[in-house]
Amino acid sequence: MPDLVAVDWLVKRYGPRLAVRGVSFAIEEGEVIGLLGPNGSGKSTILRVLAGYLPPSAGSVRIAGVDVAADSLAARMQVGYVPEDAPLYDSMRVGEFLHFMAAIKGVAPCAARGAVNRAAERLELGPVLGMPIGKLSRGYRQRVAIAQALVNDPPLLILDEPTNALDAYQVIAVRALVRSLAGRRTVLVASHVLTEIERVASRVMILLDGRLLTTDAMREAGQARQLRLRVGGPQPAVLAALRHIPGVVDPAPAGDPESYLVEIAPGRLTAADLARAIVGQGFALSELVEVKPDLERVFLDLMRRASAMQANAA
Amino acid sequence: MRTFAALLLKEEKAIFTSPIAYVVLSVFLVIMGYTFTLTLFVSHVPTLVHLFFQIYVLFLLTVPIITMRLVAEERRLRTIEILLTAPVSEPAVVFAKYLASLSLVVLMLVLSGAYAITLAILGQPDWGPIYSGYLGLFLLGAALVAVGLMTSSLVSNQIIAALLSLSLFLLLWIIDHFGWMLPDPFDALVVNLSLLVHFTPFATGSIFLSDAGFFISVALLALFLSVRALARR
Repeated sequence: MPDLVAVDWLVKRYGPRLAVRGVSFAIEEGEVIGLLGPNGSGKSTILRVLAGYLPPSAGSVRIAGVDVAADSLAARMQVGYVPEDAPLYDSMRVGEFLHFMAAIKGVAPCAARGAVNRAAERLELGPVLGMPIGKLSRGYRQRVAIAQALVNDPPLLILDEPTNALDAYQVIAVRALVRSLAGRRTVLVASHVLTEIERVASRVMILLDGRLLTTDAMREAGQARQLRLRVGGPQPAVLAALRHIPGVVDPAPAGDPESYLVEIAPGRLTAADLARAIVGQGFALSELVEVKPDLERVFLDLMRRASAMQANAA
Repeated sequence: MRTFAALLLKEEKAIFTSPIAYVVLSVFLVIMGYTFTLTLFVSHVPTLVHLFFQIYVLFLLTVPIITMRLVAEERRLRTIEILLTAPVSEPAVVFAKYLASLSLVVLMLVLSGAYAITLAILGQPDWGPIYSGYLGLFLLGAALVAVGLMTSSLVSNQIIAALLSLSLFLLLWIIDHFGWMLPDPFDALVVNLSLLVHFTPFATGSIFLSDAGFFISVALLALFLSVRALARR
């Protein structure tokens, strides 16, 4: 599949503050990508640059081959953008707003009614088409925001925190919608809620402090093996012993005093080797279980490593 | 063109569905009606000169109220993000907002035309000064709306935008009083920034290209700065 989005060494400054520090990634057509990161990590800034709202301070961003800085209007034609908290015109009626958005997004007058009806039908907005946006519930507002992004059928849909402040039913509905778009359209979803991203994205990028820590967290999760151990003995001594076993990465206490989580480098160490090494050092091993890799662990590992690197650099 | 028409229609609806437009129109017509009646019955002269100066002052006071929300409100509510991530250019957004606001000012002038018609029914007014007065008011309104739009583009609080516009208008109203105190050639420079200096000839029946050029230049400069302010994000 060709790349629909190509971001090369993107930098964004707000005055003296660096919000995005040299981020590069590519997104293929039809992918559903999750952009995960804590609040203030630069997710919204990256999305705003992609949507053509903010110009990049340095680097290049191309959408469907169009440079967003050089030809912003043409690039914006390729993007449907749903900002965080769905800022909409409260005084406009839903149908009126969708027709307005269709008109400014270049949908031909003869096709506008059909485009609006399709977007409204997909987002189940039929009952509220005649209502002022200001009187809608949060869930409906979010749906209207997504409908306006889809009204001109753009190849790239960008959603910034799409499930913010929605109730459980609305979250499920938005999630189902994003999943239904997979394959037919490229979707980039940013969120600080890990489970949201994990459930909808086929690939997850993790961002911290304006830096991209990984462009495929799921693949990293699949590469590393993690084991949970229950080892008797004083915690500092056990941790020191684990650190000295070749192939053990990042041993850490896990909950109760005798439990530990260790990552083992694939190909260098097996679970049996590890068990032998622990017992050989005189510790009592009562449990050794392989932990299924998940996004949460990868996220926490990457955050911890990044923080450690920053601390070392300082 | 269709995009611009959609933007303009949206702005017109926003202005004419807002109570601010009707409050401004009502206050304008009540004060104008009172002034017109009073001057007509006191002076018994079929002229609108007094009325033009009254409208001039009312424009300085009401245009900030008309323009204050134009961009500031969009920034505060972040709807500007929806608007400017659609394939529309900043000049199109600014010009649509400008024309929509100017249309309210033009409506005020059109409604005040009732006084000219009344004069025509009751007597035989000299139409030259009436035409030039209306032309001057239109140019003044066009410049004031552009400056109001510019201040609204600079801030995200509409009250601050209104106060900023009002301060600028009042400064440009009285600036000639300070200008006369300055040494040559600064006196002429400052005096020529005065709105009143350029409006008075229109109100009294004289049309100078320099006066028209002043209002058009102010409007174009303010529109340019509005576009720059909108692009700065």
